[in-house]
Amino acid sequence: MIRVTAVSHYFAPLSDGEPLPSLDAAVREVCVEPYRRIDRFVQLALLGSGRCAAGRALATDCGLYMGSGLGPMGSNVLTQEQLGRDREAPMPFNFINTLGSSAGFYVGKNLKLSGQNFFVSRRGANLTALLNMAMADLELGVVKQALLGVVEEATQPLEDHRLRQHLPADRTVAEGSHWLLLEKDATTGRTLGEQRFAEPEALDAALKRAWRPGDRLVDVPRMEEKVRGALRKDFASAIPDDPREPFHDSLDAAHVTAALAADAVGSVFMVEGEPGRGYGLFHFRA
Amino acid sequence: MSGAYLRGVGLACALGVDAESCVDAMMRGQVRPERVTLDGLAEPTQVAYYRIPDGTALFDPKRFERHLPAVTEAAVRQAGLTAAEIRALPLFLGSSCFSVGLSEQEYGAALAAGSSATVPMPCVGYDYLAALVERSVGCRGGSFTYNTACTSSANAVLGALRALQLGRCRHALVVGAELANLTTLAGFFGLQLLAPELRPFDAKRSGIVLGEGVGAVLLSAEPGRDDRLCIRGGASNCDGYSVATANPDGESVTAVLRQALAAVRLRPEEVRGIRAHGTASPTGDTAEAAGVARAFEHLPPLTVLKPHIGHTLGACGVNELVLYSGALKRGQLPATPGFEVPDPDLKLQPLTRATPALPGVYLLNHFGFGGSNTVLALEKHAS
Repeated sequence: MIRVTAVSHYFAPLSDGEPLPSLDAAVREVCVEPYRRIDRFVQLALLGSGRCAAGRALATDCGLYMGSGLGPMGSNVLTQEQLGRDREAPMPFNFINTLGSSAGFYVGKNLKLSGQNFFVSRRGANLTALLNMAMADLELGVVKQALLGVVEEATQPLEDHRLRQHLPADRTVAEGSHWLLLEKDATTGRTLGEQRFAEPEALDAALKRAWRPGDRLVDVPRMEEKVRGALRKDFASAIPDDPREPFHDSLDAAHVTAALAADAVGSVFMVEGEPGRGYGLFHFRA
Repeated sequence: MSGAYLRGVGLACALGVDAESCVDAMMRGQVRPERVTLDGLAEPTQVAYYRIPDGTALFDPKRFERHLPAVTEAAVRQAGLTAAEIRALPLFLGSSCFSVGLSEQEYGAALAAGSSATVPMPCVGYDYLAALVERSVGCRGGSFTYNTACTSSANAVLGALRALQLGRCRHALVVGAELANLTTLAGFFGLQLLAPELRPFDAKRSGIVLGEGVGAVLLSAEPGRDDRLCIRGGASNCDGYSVATANPDGESVTAVLRQALAAVRLRPEEVRGIRAHGTASPTGDTAEAAGVARAFEHLPPLTVLKPHIGHTLGACGVNELVLYSGALKRGQLPATPGFEVPDPDLKLQPLTRATPALPGVYLLNHFGFGGSNTVLALEKHAS
């Protein structure tokens, strides 16, 4: 049985015309040593993973599964400016930090992890992809602990950040770092299960059977409208549905970690899928 | 199911634009890098590079739209899957560059035009390549896009293998994709890691020569018409020594080799050969040699393929798997061009001429920035 034994949720809506909030002090609190030449994306990863581990020593072979929709935007923008505008080769550490896996390196170093360390994305469903991988590795016995994190970084000016994501000018954007610790042999914590269905009707029926008052449902932002519509009909009050909600590219992860981090909530369900591939129902059982 | 059968392959790299002719050219050992100019830099700069002989402009990012469909469709076609099986295929894709070439082109054009709406990095996200493959192949089984530097597509193979082992799918498409872009070439130039020629494990080695390549393998839980090759297992770990430099003591390399052997329940002396990572960087080769020497009392025949196609970064796992498996099918272990003078500090020497490949398990090493180490175990069955 797989259990969720720790959660951290960092979600920060951003304001136009103001500098991005400094993460320095919060990062210092969770780091065993100061790291030089790290960028904001690495800081967000350190912050979320450190808060999830909360000072607990993880197994050195704990698997690390990180993901992101946009990746290290700050370093990528800087590198493109150095190349395109200044016509110079990128600064070495800016270039290295453009790799998503650089953040995983620092997380591993900070938490003293030497096991497998992956950076994997599936746009709009990053957490789903990470859960698929980590649950497979836990079931196969490749790892006994899995630390999953989804990180989204924003860059100034925010109007450029919106432009890149084709967002309307009045949409508030956010940064986030959302982490879960999964364990195979733990005796406490929510259990995590996944069911798969060929058709959305079967998913809907299974969800109705499992549903209890106080449960929450998190749908993947890019879920096809037909399925989302059916779910909304049956579980309207349970689905976060605010078109003005501050946006980052992994709101599925944000909704899950927000719900899991809240004390009073019952079970949390996440659905994903598309025609042809089938549909998944993740159940974080209270 | 103990492994994943290689049912189909596709490849475009400096050796050619289909897998069979690439293996032919590799066995002949005739390809050398060319000099390419980094036009985008203020200071005139030339670097050695292994490019795909496709007759197009090197830095045209639209080349993905030509090579990705061709290579992936070749792999799927060779596997002989039904339409329903193709539709159900999950995609495991590894790359280092993704859509950065599109971004640098679009941003550069806007700057040149003096546009006021110039935004650096206009094309974001990691899904451009996966979406391209899903559209062209018609696979809808979900995508996993790996970005773990030079181990990206090797880790994608590992992910596909585990999905197959768990019965989550019956077939899986694995892709490695890396095409020339100014960001990568200038980035490695800035890191001072580039050399004019590739001399892996040689006393005169001085650095990496990059290359481009797009490769695909169709892995299956069941053997097809040809069941000679099978991914048996593998392992991956992370070394916290440095984000950009290999740990010269090689301890994490030894550890990942032992983890891979344990995963396939094999003793070191049972390994028939090693496809080394062999970037020819002074520290990278030192780390790999130290790690391999510690894991093997008697070193099996070792080959480096990068002198044939360059270092194709995140795609090298799949690209070199296609080449190495092609050679194994022909009963040969390829030679390592560029190796001439043994380094007295390294306890290994790669093959300098092709030798017979026996049935058994072969290991493929991959190492990358971020301390990422991955080893795959490939089994060649008797014909």
